Amino acid sequence: MSRLLNIPTSKPNCGLVWVAFVLLGISALNAQAKIVLTVPQQVSLSANFFTQQLTIFWFGGEATTFDVIILRTEFNETVFYNTVPAVVNQDGGRHQWTWTSVEPLECTSLSVKICSRDGMTKSDWSEPQILKGRDLPSNSNHQVYPQDKVVPVGGNTTFCCIVEEGKEFRDLLYGSIEMNVKRLSRRSYAATAVYQNLSGTTGTNVLCRLRDKLAGSVIFVGYPPQPTNFECLTYDLTSAVCYWDTGRATNLYGKRKTSYSINKRVCPDRTCVLPQWDGNWTLVAVNPLGQYSLTYSAELLHRVVPVAPDKLADAAQAWNATVHWQWPYSSYSTLALVCQVQLASRNILLRNFSGVGVRSVFLPHLHPNTKYSVRVRCGSLNHFLKWGNWSKEFNFTTKSYAPEAPDVWMWVNRDNSVRVMWKPLTQWQSHGVLTGYEVTLWNLEGNEKQTNNLSPKNNSLNLTHWASITGDKKAIASVKAKNVKGTSKPSSIMLGSIDDKSAPLAQTIYTSSGFPLSWQHSDNRSCSYLVEWCEAVCTSDCAVDWIRLDTGSSHVSIKDSIVKFQPGVRYNFSLYECPSVSPVLIQRWQGYIQELPPSTSVNLEINQQDCDVVLSWEEIPLAGRRGFLLGYKVYKVNNFSNFTLLDDLSPEVRTYTVKDLYTSTYKFTVKAYTSAGEDTGGTAAITLKQCADGLILEILTALGIVTLLLTTVSCFCYKKRRWVKKAFYPDIPEPKLPGDWSRTQGPLDVKPFPHSMVHIIEKPERDFSKDTLVIIPEEEDYEGEGIGDEPVDTDEPQLLRYYNQVVDERPIRPRFPDSSVSSSSSVDSANTDVTYTGIQTSHSSLVFPSDSQGFSEGFQPHSGLSLSSGNTGEGYHPQMHSVALGGNLASPEPIVEPHAVGSGGYKPQNSWLLDSPTEGDENSPAPSLGSPTSVASTQFLLPDRERHEEKRQQPPSAANWFTNLLSSAKP
Amino acid sequence: MGGVMTVKRSTVAKVADLAALVQHECTDVLIQYRNQENLPNDMGSDRLVFVSPPSSQLDIRSKLQSLHSGLDKCYSLLERAIALEKMELDRDQMSEYKNGRRRLKEELLNLLKSTEELLKAAGGKPVRNQDDLEPYHPNNVFHLKLWVYSVYIEVKLWSKTAFTVMKELQSAKEPLKRGKRSTRRTLQ
Repeated sequence: MSRLLNIPTSKPNCGLVWVAFVLLGISALNAQAKIVLTVPQQVSLSANFFTQQLTIFWFGGEATTFDVIILRTEFNETVFYNTVPAVVNQDGGRHQWTWTSVEPLECTSLSVKICSRDGMTKSDWSEPQILKGRDLPSNSNHQVYPQDKVVPVGGNTTFCCIVEEGKEFRDLLYGSIEMNVKRLSRRSYAATAVYQNLSGTTGTNVLCRLRDKLAGSVIFVGYPPQPTNFECLTYDLTSAVCYWDTGRATNLYGKRKTSYSINKRVCPDRTCVLPQWDGNWTLVAVNPLGQYSLTYSAELLHRVVPVAPDKLADAAQAWNATVHWQWPYSSYSTLALVCQVQLASRNILLRNFSGVGVRSVFLPHLHPNTKYSVRVRCGSLNHFLKWGNWSKEFNFTTKSYAPEAPDVWMWVNRDNSVRVMWKPLTQWQSHGVLTGYEVTLWNLEGNEKQTNNLSPKNNSLNLTHWASITGDKKAIASVKAKNVKGTSKPSSIMLGSIDDKSAPLAQTIYTSSGFPLSWQHSDNRSCSYLVEWCEAVCTSDCAVDWIRLDTGSSHVSIKDSIVKFQPGVRYNFSLYECPSVSPVLIQRWQGYIQELPPSTSVNLEINQQDCDVVLSWEEIPLAGRRGFLLGYKVYKVNNFSNFTLLDDLSPEVRTYTVKDLYTSTYKFTVKAYTSAGEDTGGTAAITLKQCADGLILEILTALGIVTLLLTTVSCFCYKKRRWVKKAFYPDIPEPKLPGDWSRTQGPLDVKPFPHSMVHIIEKPERDFSKDTLVIIPEEEDYEGEGIGDEPVDTDEPQLLRYYNQVVDERPIRPRFPDSSVSSSSSVDSANTDVTYTGIQTSHSSLVFPSDSQGFSEGFQPHSGLSLSSGNTGEGYHPQMHSVALGGNLASPEPIVEPHAVGSGGYKPQNSWLLDSPTEGDENSPAPSLGSPTSVASTQFLLPDRERHEEKRQQPPSAANWFTNLLSSAKP
Repeated sequence: MGGVMTVKRSTVAKVADLAALVQHECTDVLIQYRNQENLPNDMGSDRLVFVSPPSSQLDIRSKLQSLHSGLDKCYSLLERAIALEKMELDRDQMSEYKNGRRRLKEELLNLLKSTEELLKAAGGKPVRNQDDLEPYHPNNVFHLKLWVYSVYIEVKLWSKTAFTVMKELQSAKEPLKRGKRSTRRTLQ
């Protein structure tokens, strides 16, 4: 970026000027005595607007120095004032002096005055001479100066803008940067760009903008030329071709770009052809910023660079060829040359040869029937400067020749038949177009010989019909290749089966260099080696490849070849010793170039074995493994297809037993995996059946325990029957009744209808003709729910339900939450006279609430119960009521027990207490009461819950038996 | 050819498209030129083509005649501008501006030839302008730059005029006729 500066105008100090004038005047007066200074005459001006130089001419007498003052005419501002030496022209004694203006001379008018000076004495000033600027009123255009100026990088340039007459100046821009301006005249403004950088390729615009108009100029900032590396050489031993580098870019283009000339001959950029070898050359580079010269001198023969050989031709044989060419200049015939031949076929060879005027080259050691590409270049042998240009490429083909012997090997099929194989000859080996193969089989045992001619496309021969090659019998196969030029040497191999099981087998891991195989070489082995490889799953007509290795080899890397290695395919590698004479397999490898997850899943079988599940599967076929199997993972498939790993098995294991399973449906997945991952897995499901043996065993065990328990209890009860009777069936004192009707009138023996219950209720205050016997349908009795929810003022069926629950042949235990209630109920029952004459077992009446709540609620005291004789209704109701089934069976007469009347109600003669008071909760029977029994009763009136359950499961006969047992224990 | 000659409306539409393409290309070149030369956006330009624009009052043939003259002048100016730029300022390297300038010249020539065909179809006769006899010579490089800028402005203006005229022709019911002869070309 250029820096813009204002150039200050030098104004002479008036005081100093006057002092100077005074001094000069005094000096002049003193000098008048010596010489007389004349005023410069015929002052004239000559302006070079491009260089901004003003040359002043005058005739000045004898003075040697002059004072020159230059002022801007319009503003009378001094631009220059100094004493200058005068140069006197020889022609006429005219003086001249040149002044270079910082500002373009067009910017404004300049006035020039001169006076003669001799020491301190000076003459009067000449009449002012005016150089008219372009800002005169006669030129009213809008203008900018200088135009199209070219300046070097880093220089300063002052621009001026002459405003159109009557217009107003706005700004002055250098590119897009506004410059600080100073006013030179009424219409002229100036500004300076300093340290200018390179301009654009089309220059930098300097714009002077008015309010509505634009004027401008373009300035080009660049460098002077500076070419380098100037040299000349000759191709034809006559003319000179000169080269140079342009050096630093000048940044000047178009009309301002650098022009070049050599020995005053105009040349294009960078190179110039001169018809004669001058020996000395001067390169002149010129642009608006300057010029630059380079010189070069050289001998002709030292600067020879041969041109490219032309018109190449060949004379090719099978194993060599001769290439000829021509030179365009006859002068080369005497020139010592060194030439280089580039021969390309399978690879590129460079061969050098030399001679005087070389025009051909013999190329030995070529290959038959091979296409070659050749090109030639030469240089001066004696004064080698550089290689000449390459000739055009020339192609030729050598003649055909008998082919090379093929590489023969054998392959033993799975059926032990032998296949003779040979590698197809490459074009390099065939030395021409192959016409076929000749395979000769020679049975050593029977001296039998057979020859087969095969087409060139055949690369193997199956010896399935050569039955004698089995077992230990040996044969030799000999293969020869044929082309139009002849037959190759035979390549033979000893045929026979090879033991392929005894050799050790290892794994090989593929690397970027192939399958690395290494083995231990024994020094006592003198045979060569052969490594053979093929796909492991191949069965017949396998793609087999092999490589022969020299004696002493101990490693090799096998890369892609005839057998194209594929990911997930297993390959077998076999190392043979003495492959041509008596092949011996000494080592085997297997490997993958890339292992993949198995593509085939296991075929999973699942079976139940007792309460276990046995998973079994077969081995995955080799083709489906796609890697070395690392094992099997057994998963249990849960809901939402979640897998739970049960076990990770080694690849040899193919069964797995899942134990401790419950009766349910299970799904299992077994996934084989390689280093690349798992397969999708084989899945099987099973629904486990009940484990029969276990169930039976459990049942038998439970039955045995129950039997043992019963037996123990029975024995205990039998042995302790007296204690039992005493404890549970104490003797009840015979009631004492007034009179002796008790003797004559025994207890009423009422046998209820076997399938119903009869409750006999006797209440003197009530009318038995109205409510004594109500039959409750059994269906209602079995409705466990709703009993407690029924309204308090229960109707008859509820009343009867209550009876049914109470009247039971099972032992009865109190069912009220606490003993007090029970006791109070017993007390309440004092209003009722009850006589039990015997209660028969009734299965249909064995109805208990199934749940504890219902059970409890079923026995909740109901104040509104119709059978309640008291005000609470709570109490031991069965003892208060007796209901007979059928009116004909129930005695309508109240059976009054005198003792009961006297005592206020029935009271038990014995009772038992529960061991723990906690049994008094709502789920437990009332703990305080023993089982009250009537006089003639042999039954518990309040059965406990457990025993009730047992009762339900036991046949009635068992209860009777136990009751009888206890009864028989009575004394 | 004798008889009635017709010009398909699709042909006129193609010329209109070509005019739009020239206008678009010229707009791009103008932007590139203004950026390259660092010219102010509000810079005015001088008129260089002194051909009466095709007035709506004129008939089709006169419109095409006027349009062809204007485009012909534009093409001459553009050729001269390119030549002067190469002589004064050009460097060997290609630039986006120079590529656009080359495309603009080719497309303007296509538009000129297409317009000439339409003019002939309308019975008009192309008139070559005589400006080549007095080619423009710039006083200085800055003047050349302003002049080149004015040339692009003229090309843009006349390509826009061409587009307008072609649109008018597309919608015109008046057939394109050859003046004196019986041969006629009509817009279809």
